[in-house]
Amino acid sequence: MRKILLAGLVSLLPVAALAQEGDAAPSVDLPMADVTRVMAAAVDGFIRPGYDAFHESAGRMTAAMKALCEAPSRTNYDAAKNAFRDAAVSWAHIEVVRVGPVIEHNRFERILFYPDRKSTGLKQVQSVLSKADETATDPLSLGTKSVAMQGFGALEYVLAGSGSDELLRGKQSFRCRYGAAVAGNIANVAKELSDIWDDPNGIQKAWEQPGPDNPNFRTGGEAITALLGILVHGAEAVRDQRIETFYKGADKAKFPKQALFWRSENTWATVKGNLEGLAILLEKSGMVSLLQEKDRPIVAATQAQLKSMIELSGKITPDLEKAVENAAERKKLDTLLADGKGVISKLNDGYGGAIGLSSGFSFADGD
Amino acid sequence: MWHGEAIDRRGFLKAAGIAFTAALAPRSLMAFERADAVYASGFKAPDGSFGVATVSERGEIIDRVALPARAHGLAYSAATGRTVAFARRPGTFAMVFDPSRLAEPVIITSPEGRHFYGHGHFSPDGTRLYASENDFDGNRGMIGVYDARDKFRRIGEFDAHGIGTHDMTVSDDGKLLVIANGGIETHPDFGRTKLNIDRMEPSLVLLDAKTGALIQRHRLPSSLKQLSTRHLDITDNGRIWFACQWEGARNALPPLAGWFSKGEDLSFVSLPRETTVRLGNYVGAIAVNRRDGVVGLTSPGGGAVVTLDAETGAVVKEETVREAAGVAPATHGIAVSSYDGQFNDTRSAVAWDQHIVRLG
Repeated sequence: MRKILLAGLVSLLPVAALAQEGDAAPSVDLPMADVTRVMAAAVDGFIRPGYDAFHESAGRMTAAMKALCEAPSRTNYDAAKNAFRDAAVSWAHIEVVRVGPVIEHNRFERILFYPDRKSTGLKQVQSVLSKADETATDPLSLGTKSVAMQGFGALEYVLAGSGSDELLRGKQSFRCRYGAAVAGNIANVAKELSDIWDDPNGIQKAWEQPGPDNPNFRTGGEAITALLGILVHGAEAVRDQRIETFYKGADKAKFPKQALFWRSENTWATVKGNLEGLAILLEKSGMVSLLQEKDRPIVAATQAQLKSMIELSGKITPDLEKAVENAAERKKLDTLLADGKGVISKLNDGYGGAIGLSSGFSFADGD
Repeated sequence: MWHGEAIDRRGFLKAAGIAFTAALAPRSLMAFERADAVYASGFKAPDGSFGVATVSERGEIIDRVALPARAHGLAYSAATGRTVAFARRPGTFAMVFDPSRLAEPVIITSPEGRHFYGHGHFSPDGTRLYASENDFDGNRGMIGVYDARDKFRRIGEFDAHGIGTHDMTVSDDGKLLVIANGGIETHPDFGRTKLNIDRMEPSLVLLDAKTGALIQRHRLPSSLKQLSTRHLDITDNGRIWFACQWEGARNALPPLAGWFSKGEDLSFVSLPRETTVRLGNYVGAIAVNRRDGVVGLTSPGGGAVVTLDAETGAVVKEETVREAAGVAPATHGIAVSSYDGQFNDTRSAVAWDQHIVRLG
């Protein structure tokens, strides 16, 4: 490392004498009381309950896996699969928050390693199963291993991948104990997130009270722009990462086995969960109240389109091979893609423009 | 960024040829004839389409070229007149066009496993085009090398010796490639998501332009690990100015610009507290005006344009420009554009993108 010098050169010229002083011109300038109310509603009405619910759901999933290991049966197997689906959907609700503690210390990837175009997770999970690596059966030691083998993707393979019938054959099988450890690891990360957001002097306070000494948001405009960013990026992720990963249009190549949770047929349950998360955040935060009356229909229109997508995602066959081959099913996929684009545009250009980002949210990223 | 002596409209006209003006609509021709300098910048039109426009010093649009998607940085060769608009990351196209419209545009597509990072630069003789690129599965920045004499065929690549490579430029003698590695990992599977904010590795690098050999690399100290070194320009004495974006705590006041030369350590400019605050810990673009010896910085979020003395780093001027975007050397001072359509004296019904290149 070469030496770094800090040039204390400013004093060479009298700044005040030369500078043409002007007030700051933030793109988004909103009353602080309104911002605080909306941020508090977003944190207390969506983010914290979302992580708390995910933590509880992951705990139930862990318990269900342990019960299956202790007493293998068709009933307990189905219960474990149902608990997996419930936890995955609970995660999908709060997964739309791709900022803050969840993207630190690989927490997001430890919960869900996806996309995984090179099937890194599959290879590592298959390797663990074939070697019966006992260090992978303890949630804490598993948590120090590759992120690709410690989250939902790994547990889905345990429950629904090749050889999953082993789970029914004998008590405390390695496969089952590894699955229980994966569930326990997910619960551990979920607890970390829940605890961090529940600390009254931690990030929740920083998000709710922007200001000059705030480590996250100096101004109310920055805070609301970040909140809008959750919605825009979340909507983009549903469309670009969860649907276009396997289907980009009738005339394009299709990759149904690249879809998230295709094995367990939970793809649409989690897409629906993501969309519901976006709708709940938009509603609970009261972001509509920051807009002038004339602009408020943007939020209603966004909610209507999200509702339509939520309903449609529940009507598509969970068998993705069929979904991409059948013309009627493809039409639904095309509609989801088109509506997804509409939601992104309404949030990005519509809401973003209405709060002062003249060319939309995404454009205002200097890069 | 634009280097070399300022050539005026007459110089640009000489390079562009009479056919260029003959093809312009009367209003555009008037704008061009009144221009002392000509610039190019990417834009978003009101209908959501994207393009790149040539612009007079007053900010009037002279001509437009449509683009398939959003552009970011641009490169201009004074030797050949060719101009390149690079796709915004993680885009995979770069469009080479001739502002005089005498030559057909050329679309460069990044090879398999790479995408453009949004910046590049010509060699001084215009025969080589260098582009910053992402080897996304290898998580390493690269510099793609393209032969401008052979339809911009890709003829090689150099390791940028860092991740999150962003802006890059070339020394006036063509011997050095100067690279700003922002230190932020991204992957097209995750769009524009920043994947390693808690593990950033920013650096500034000099490479041998001929061989790609590493000549000099400055990593940032641990206290500045979240300072993304992103944009560059060079003064006529070879001093490399860099501008940064802070990804750390919002209530910190990190240095946002600095300089170094070959064989020298990094020097950060200690801006006044109120200037750093005004820049919002985020400088989006930087440009040197060699004639005036000043450096311009913009902050879109802060709505600020700050002009520094290129020799001392002292603040010469601070201006308020809402959604300030691009900067480039003007005939005097710094030309400035904004997301809301302002370009120097003129407001147009477009959103100007983040960078401006001066053509003449």
